[in-house]
Amino acid sequence: MEPDIRIAVDIGGTFTDIEILDANSGAIHQIKTPSTPADPSIGLLTGIKQASERFGFPLEAVQYLLHGTTIATNAVLERKLPLGAVVTTAGFEDVMQIGRHGRSDVYAITLAQPQPLVARRLCFGVTERVNAAGEIAVPLDEEGVRRVATELAEAGVKSVAICLLHAYANPAHEQRVGAILAELLPDAAITLASDISPEIREYERMSTTALNAMLVPIVQRYTDRLAGRLKDELPEAQVYLVQSNGGVSGLAKAGREPARLLLSGPSGGAAAAKRLAAELGEANLVAVDMGGTSFDISVVHEGEVAMVNEGEVDGLPVRLPMIEMRTIGAGGGSIAWVDEGGRLRIGPHSAGADPGPACYGKGGTQFTVTDANLVLGRLDGESFMGGAMPLDREAARKAAEPIAAKLGLSVDQVAAGVIDVANSALATATRLSLFEKGMDPEDFALLSFGGAGGVHACEVADELGIRRVVFPAHASTLSAWGILWSDIAHDLSATQIGLLDAMAPALAETGKRLVAEARTLLAEDGVPEAAQRFEWALDLRYAGQAFDLRVPLEGADFSASGVAKATAAFHALHRQRFSYDEPSVPVEVVALRLKAVGGLAKPVPAHSEATEAGHSAQQRPVHGRSGFVPTPVLAREAVSASKPVAGPAIVEEAYTSIYLPAGWTILTHASGALIADRLASH
Amino acid sequence: MTDLTPGIDPIRLEVIRNALVAASEEMSITIWRTSRSTVVREILDFSTAVFDAQGNNIAQSARIPVHLNSMSDCLRTILDRFIPLEEWQDGDVIVTNDPYSGGQHLSDIQTFRPVFVDGRRVAIVGTLCHHVDVGGGAAGSFFAAATEVFQEGIRIPPLRLAEKGVLNRGVFEMLLHNVRQPDETRGDLNAQIAALGIGERAVARMARKYGAEALTAAMAAILDGSEKMMRAGLAALPDGEASFVELVDDDGQSDKPIRLEVKITKKGEAITLDFAGSSPQVSGPVNNTPAMTCSAVYYALLAALGGDIPANSGCYRPVTVKLPEGSIVNASFPAPVAGRMVVNHRIAIAVFGALAEIAPTRIPAAYYAISYVYALQTRTPQGKGRVYFDIEVGGWGGHAGGDGASALSCGLHNNTNAPIEMVEAKYPVTFMRYGLIPDSGGAGEFRGGLGLVREWRLDADMGTLSAHFERFRFPPHGVHGGGPGSLSSMTVTHPDGSRTALRSKISGIPLKQGDVVTVATSGGGGFGDPAKRDPARIAHDLAEGLVTPEQAARLYGAAAGTEKAA
Repeated sequence: MEPDIRIAVDIGGTFTDIEILDANSGAIHQIKTPSTPADPSIGLLTGIKQASERFGFPLEAVQYLLHGTTIATNAVLERKLPLGAVVTTAGFEDVMQIGRHGRSDVYAITLAQPQPLVARRLCFGVTERVNAAGEIAVPLDEEGVRRVATELAEAGVKSVAICLLHAYANPAHEQRVGAILAELLPDAAITLASDISPEIREYERMSTTALNAMLVPIVQRYTDRLAGRLKDELPEAQVYLVQSNGGVSGLAKAGREPARLLLSGPSGGAAAAKRLAAELGEANLVAVDMGGTSFDISVVHEGEVAMVNEGEVDGLPVRLPMIEMRTIGAGGGSIAWVDEGGRLRIGPHSAGADPGPACYGKGGTQFTVTDANLVLGRLDGESFMGGAMPLDREAARKAAEPIAAKLGLSVDQVAAGVIDVANSALATATRLSLFEKGMDPEDFALLSFGGAGGVHACEVADELGIRRVVFPAHASTLSAWGILWSDIAHDLSATQIGLLDAMAPALAETGKRLVAEARTLLAEDGVPEAAQRFEWALDLRYAGQAFDLRVPLEGADFSASGVAKATAAFHALHRQRFSYDEPSVPVEVVALRLKAVGGLAKPVPAHSEATEAGHSAQQRPVHGRSGFVPTPVLAREAVSASKPVAGPAIVEEAYTSIYLPAGWTILTHASGALIADRLASH
Repeated sequence: MTDLTPGIDPIRLEVIRNALVAASEEMSITIWRTSRSTVVREILDFSTAVFDAQGNNIAQSARIPVHLNSMSDCLRTILDRFIPLEEWQDGDVIVTNDPYSGGQHLSDIQTFRPVFVDGRRVAIVGTLCHHVDVGGGAAGSFFAAATEVFQEGIRIPPLRLAEKGVLNRGVFEMLLHNVRQPDETRGDLNAQIAALGIGERAVARMARKYGAEALTAAMAAILDGSEKMMRAGLAALPDGEASFVELVDDDGQSDKPIRLEVKITKKGEAITLDFAGSSPQVSGPVNNTPAMTCSAVYYALLAALGGDIPANSGCYRPVTVKLPEGSIVNASFPAPVAGRMVVNHRIAIAVFGALAEIAPTRIPAAYYAISYVYALQTRTPQGKGRVYFDIEVGGWGGHAGGDGASALSCGLHNNTNAPIEMVEAKYPVTFMRYGLIPDSGGAGEFRGGLGLVREWRLDADMGTLSAHFERFRFPPHGVHGGGPGSLSSMTVTHPDGSRTALRSKISGIPLKQGDVVTVATSGGGGFGDPAKRDPARIAHDLAEGLVTPEQAARLYGAAAGTEKAA
């Protein structure tokens, strides 16, 4: 048998996580190696070479390399972007500066002006006008475009975003401006809004387009370098980058449309959740990732990851399909305090990693969520981080004393209170992220990962009425593990506003165009026709309504019966999400969407035989609902596959601990995940 | 040890508080996602809140200050004067929009629903939406010629829109028969009703979990906590008295300026605001009722005291507001009020102005302080009326830490703009321009933020325009030597090139095809002596075109002006 290796890489700020799958044997290996921020591809290659030696596979055997990167995101967060300019319809040069002009801090008496992405002096207007129907109302002043080109050249602009009003309805002027500028500015990166985000609402489109244009030089430099290095080292490998939509794409497309990488951070975790949902037979999973500073929530519903059409990076809208993620600033490092009204509050300030929680002994004096877990015995001072980082319980207790004095409670009560308040905030955020979609937590299992989540997950589930919690294997490299199972995915869309019935023939025509474009993209990625899959959807709303809902269009059926089916599905979805529908109101279509998927083969992973242990040698006092009780402490490997362990119990592994409260049991699943269930009577 | 309201431990209290805020958010999400009108869907002119059974605002969504600080007033008026608590049945939806029954202006329809647990009314949930039209003398229900509230639209006294969960169809249809955009009003009202159901469910879930007693105790403790923080904030200000006089252009029917006078007495942890000396109520529709005035006062105090005091009715307890009867800040029935924001923003400016005497570095220069509301009515060839409604904003005042923000919602309102493409896709207008106005920010060591210009052409055969603007005569003031921001204006340029300057408050102004309407909003006032402005800031303003070289030379000295823009 020919060796067949697939590698997934998730590059973080500190570590580069690598998962290796041997497609023939199904064996999966992990390796962690330090990241090399100056050129992440160095760390990546170092890690792969180490893996090849340790796990004994030739580099030539690597068929696929799937790669998640924060290079685009970091460039925006640090605003290390090339000099960018916007070319728009004359009269609207300030759209970039004005934005949507709402504020988030309602009672702010002063605030700093949000920093626009492109300086005002670099936003240029050209005389032209397309109307909402896509008709040309004012012809393009091509001489004016040439004058702008001169100014762009003089200013030394490296990236140009072309975003004309209503170009989603007719891109002719944008394309002509693009052609003229490309001719006069051969070295500039140019992005047309009608290519990257052909949808209505000018500010969001302009922001997305400018981000893309400014990222092109950065990401292209990286992909060129990566391709160069890999050509010699991994000659057989096809290389793909992880996008924000949870799928991967080839390097060429990533270089042209780098804005699609911007919110790809959660993609690995969400892909892992989707894969686990399938492996465990849990179609509805709400995945929560709790680290030191944040708590991130994503949702798998009926086996599919919940998506949104727009997100934000550093306050800048990015209007592209992406995995839906709700983040709150609550983590192990969140600081507890008492405000002037006598409320016990947690966060938003975090002790971070330095000085960190008081128990780290690095000079932190404020009481954090991690300190509370230590005081309650849910974390162990000696075994934290595999014993590499002993925690100081006395320092944690001392940090709680000022709060205890203010509230008139004991230190133990404060610690338990901090956990209660934190859990309620985590549960509230989780509930809201399901609520927005009209979903009920009780229909979901909770997937917990991230270093700080295990001690909270079961109690958060209790708050939400969730009866099952899953703790995956590979917890410390879960993103990379998820990437391993990704497919190639391209999102295409076209804005077409009008009554659905009347628009059907035009939509069918547009559909033909989109599918042709999609086939070109998949061919570029080397996907054979047999592995190509097309998923159609319509964004629908009641005529004049605010918000559209995405409804699948089975088999691209634009006939009367297909339209009727989509309409019925829309009413039903509206009822589910918003508790009412209005079948007498006409249904409007806003956009046609196509997700083109290039399926990568899914080798069967080999599952390790679960151990049949299940007893505990140790126990320690752990604070439950009503005080400290002696509680067994197990190593993760000691959790049985057949004989459930009943709570209260602590399960410890190298980088995290799980607190199993009374009323819960835990088992090891064949996939290696731990599954905690709430007893029916509880 | 901190004093705590007996009957609730601080942990449970915080858990319940979180959940109440989440309930408001769930209601807010429901309205946003299911409403029909542009006002709600793009401009976000709505709010949601949870109240205790006495009508005190306990928790609110992060939305619009002028709504949030007035809904409790409205609810308490309903409970005291119209429908006592014991008559609220499970599933009832109480609705009103009447300014003389605790409401705001007629466009703001408020709905409330009781939350029952074990047969007890433990809380009330509420929503407020600005509806695109509620009838009256002008499209969008901003009728500048109104002299009585009767001319401003349909008045809904507090009544049951739904009884025990059953919609009162007669009332619903009567309402829709009296508005110009019944489809949108129907959709938005349905969204408000659906949101109440969502809020009711969320609060009841919590009450069942912790018990009605604990919920009631928690709500009392939440009010006490905010009161305590408010008192601490007030105590931290120096004691003293200060007065401020703010002049508003006019009521739209005469040229007489409207005087707002406030005298603040701050002593210990309490504050009294006396508006004696303010103008009598006026003929035009810019009057404020006590609920409106107090809302502006509460907003200004909450903003000025800063920190993160959870905004609820407890905050109002240390505040005494004295309002002369029959005055512009306490108008008597049936004075018209549709354009209340004309005066309402300026009440906050007057309060800020007086507070600046007591806490000089804390208070910025004046912001634009007017919701630039305009409505265009057109008819389709089939005779169907359409109302395009928009709200614009201007610049913030400079402050001790930096320049004011440009073209950003400030003060009592908080609206996003309607995307030009969305407006053009729906209404017969073509936009010509949307941009910042150079030189509109008041000069100062810290400059005022810039105002903006929004300009569009009417493409339909004809239309009529209504607007409630301000600042055509009295610009946003500067402080500590800073200059004023720019004046606002509104003009029509006709196809033949001739121009008509409009006054600030208009309704029913006829427009013809090809007429171009130009709205220019005010920049904020400047903070501190312009001579002290950092040359780097001047250079940046020149490079970015925020200040012209001529103005830079005039305001900041010749040297600055001669620097060439980079």
